[in-house]
Amino acid sequence: MRHAFPLIGGLAAATLLLTGCTGEPAAGGDDAAAEVAPGFLAVADDSIASSGTFRAYLDYDTVEPNGLDPRTADTARSWTIMGLAYETLVNIDENFEFTPGLAESWDEVSPTEYVFHLRDDAVFSNGRPMTAEDVKGSIELLLETGSAWSLQLGPIESVEVTGDLEVTVKLSAPYTALLGALANTPAAILPVQEVRDGTVDLKTEMVGTGPFVPTAHVQDESWTFEQNPHYHGLDELGIDAVELEIVPDEANRLAAIRDGSAQYVFFNNADALDLLAGTPEAKVVNQQNTDFYYVILNSTNPDSPLADERVRFAVNAAIDRAQLSDLTLAGHGLATGVSPVSLPGACDPEELPSQQLSDEEITKLLADAGAENITLSLQTWNSESAPGKIAQVIQQQLEPFGVTVDIEIVDDASYGATFYGSEETAGADIGVSWYAGYGDAAMVSRWWNTEQAGFTARFMQGTPELNQLVVDASEEPAGEGRDATLTKLCAAVDEGAEQVPLMTRPGVIAYRDDLISPTINSNEGYGDIFRYVTDFRLKSEG
Amino acid sequence: MTAVIRVEGRRRSVLRRAWDYLASFDGLAKTAMWTLAVLFTAALLGRLFGLGGSPTAIVGPRLAPPSLAYPAGTDSLGRSLLPRLLEGVMTTLLLSAVAVLLTAVIATLCGIIAGYRGGRTGGLIMRVGDILYAFPAIVLAILVAAVVGPGYVAALCSIVLVTVPLMTRMVGQATRLVAQRDFITSAVISGVSTPVIMTRHVLRNISGTIAVQGTYALSVAILVEGGLSFLGYGVQLPGSSLGLLVQEGTLYMVKAPWLILLPGVILVLAILAINLIGDSLRDRFEPREARSLE
Repeated sequence: MRHAFPLIGGLAAATLLLTGCTGEPAAGGDDAAAEVAPGFLAVADDSIASSGTFRAYLDYDTVEPNGLDPRTADTARSWTIMGLAYETLVNIDENFEFTPGLAESWDEVSPTEYVFHLRDDAVFSNGRPMTAEDVKGSIELLLETGSAWSLQLGPIESVEVTGDLEVTVKLSAPYTALLGALANTPAAILPVQEVRDGTVDLKTEMVGTGPFVPTAHVQDESWTFEQNPHYHGLDELGIDAVELEIVPDEANRLAAIRDGSAQYVFFNNADALDLLAGTPEAKVVNQQNTDFYYVILNSTNPDSPLADERVRFAVNAAIDRAQLSDLTLAGHGLATGVSPVSLPGACDPEELPSQQLSDEEITKLLADAGAENITLSLQTWNSESAPGKIAQVIQQQLEPFGVTVDIEIVDDASYGATFYGSEETAGADIGVSWYAGYGDAAMVSRWWNTEQAGFTARFMQGTPELNQLVVDASEEPAGEGRDATLTKLCAAVDEGAEQVPLMTRPGVIAYRDDLISPTINSNEGYGDIFRYVTDFRLKSEG
Repeated sequence: MTAVIRVEGRRRSVLRRAWDYLASFDGLAKTAMWTLAVLFTAALLGRLFGLGGSPTAIVGPRLAPPSLAYPAGTDSLGRSLLPRLLEGVMTTLLLSAVAVLLTAVIATLCGIIAGYRGGRTGGLIMRVGDILYAFPAIVLAILVAAVVGPGYVAALCSIVLVTVPLMTRMVGQATRLVAQRDFITSAVISGVSTPVIMTRHVLRNISGTIAVQGTYALSVAILVEGGLSFLGYGVQLPGSSLGLLVQEGTLYMVKAPWLILLPGVILVLAILAINLIGDSLRDRFEPREARSLE
């Protein structure tokens, strides 16, 4: 009676039995990236007579200092959620080509002048028709904020109303990425008259021309949207309402798609492709993104070995992107340079200078710099699993080269305090994070221009040559000349190695095939997993 | 020569007495002690001699099941789970043990003062303990972690705050009982100072209670550490603890069950073993409160 051996033995045997009852090591689901039509992983069946509530589970909520104001929204999830209520002048399609939005067409009169012709049936959710003044005012209001996205708008000289439904934007210099900047939610068209007279508070209300209107929001818990009765495409909507649940824990989101309580779920963890393999009703797709992970190699601390460009370049070269992708993203991340590899005209990451170095050359480079046995501090954040995993793999990859990495994984706010928001050098040698890649190959590279992106000052010094390359890439029209400039830009970023692009950040979207028929593009530029929500069809009323 | 033989004889005698003392425990307690000893020894060997390999090295395919090459399988980064388990056991046991030592010191000091002095001081100490005791353990631990930030310090502080109130109360009660006995009255009449009475007479007579409560506190500590790390407030990656390993394994529960089962089973075994030892100590030191009549 008082012998514990049977109990302990039983526990051990059960453990061995259960752990032994598994198959081969998990492998990434290649079918998840298979296209059902060019550029699409899923296409909604528009023959379904659809109505009801669309229920989606997201990883995190809008987390913006300015509340619901789209102009200063910095995160992809804010763009996605706000994009349900707002519309932009232009849209971007599955091939990263620009399509009509609130502007039904536009003329590029010259590289510095664009004329937008507006649609005449756009109405804000408060019932007031959109005017050309709203478009002019929205761009001006965005520029007034001085936000990151106002920087992406480029060198706008003037915005003029040149007709009842016509707006002309003039630039002080050519800027190829203008349409790419206008296609994202921060450039949403706002009810400017109401904003200026104070009857609409952008921080607490969303009054747009988009398909839905928010009716309830509990921060970090849930959103409810209902149809905007004034939406110009109301007759084509297959959804009556949208319910978004904010569920940070991935295991809970997996459970929600397994039991059908969610119709559509987003995952950051590429393993979700495998983890849902046993749920026949669940379709799982791997959506490639232009977003990419990068490492900061802080050059601004004179006491750090990373102050020496040779050490930074060697560290950059020692990072094996393929292994990093295999281990942390189940092989679904694509190695990239500063122009996101999944965008047209991007540079070839295989041709980057760091990728030409052998292990011996890396070791010699470190020896020449007197950095044969060095210790570097690395900090990353914990609200997603991938950055912490990337940090741990990088630690192992650098060890054979005599580089010891001390890892600290902290909450997002602590990470921000280490690398941003002060004038001192950053509090760690290395940081791991990701950037949105947007819809034009030159857009994200602006964060490498130290004259434009002041937020990098604590860890990046840049060079005048690099800054000029960033400007050149944004000014040149698409074509071979621009591709060549992007290649030079990628090489300069790679050699300077102050912010080193690693690999793209794929997203995994799971949906219940028995409940919903969605449209999902293969490649996304702004992290908008609801880009085609107006096409979605529900198979049951939800 | 004679002196050497005498010293060796004395050592043998001490070892023999220690062995005899351990052998006098019931079978359940002995099994529990062996379980803890095996866990601790394996973790120590892992730390000192690298048993199972490096806990951070990427050695094989991701999520490989247990095999000869990887006795406990591999995790989502292709690291062998065995060394990470051993590191986790060591972290959890060490962190909990250090926290419980701190608890024992604080609770003993507060409990003896409260129990011996009584009055306002004793009342104040007990009321503060009651306030802390009113919070559910994990809620209090999360509160502490939110204030000091996730990590080892948070886990340590949380465990101490969670375990101190109950231990203080038990030590205080035991002290009150001892303080009423005749030999304490005699010592007071003889003019022995209060600190000497507390340390020489009271402490010696409540050591059994402290030992029993210490073992219970240790099991609570392991549970709190596990819970905190599971929720992301305790030990942080790339470190390892049993709670953190369980948390990492949760996502892969279906695809790679060994990632959650092995640390989970070890966690249960450790807590079970410590509670069984605690029960046995209680039977020995406080026979009036024994659970059974055997």
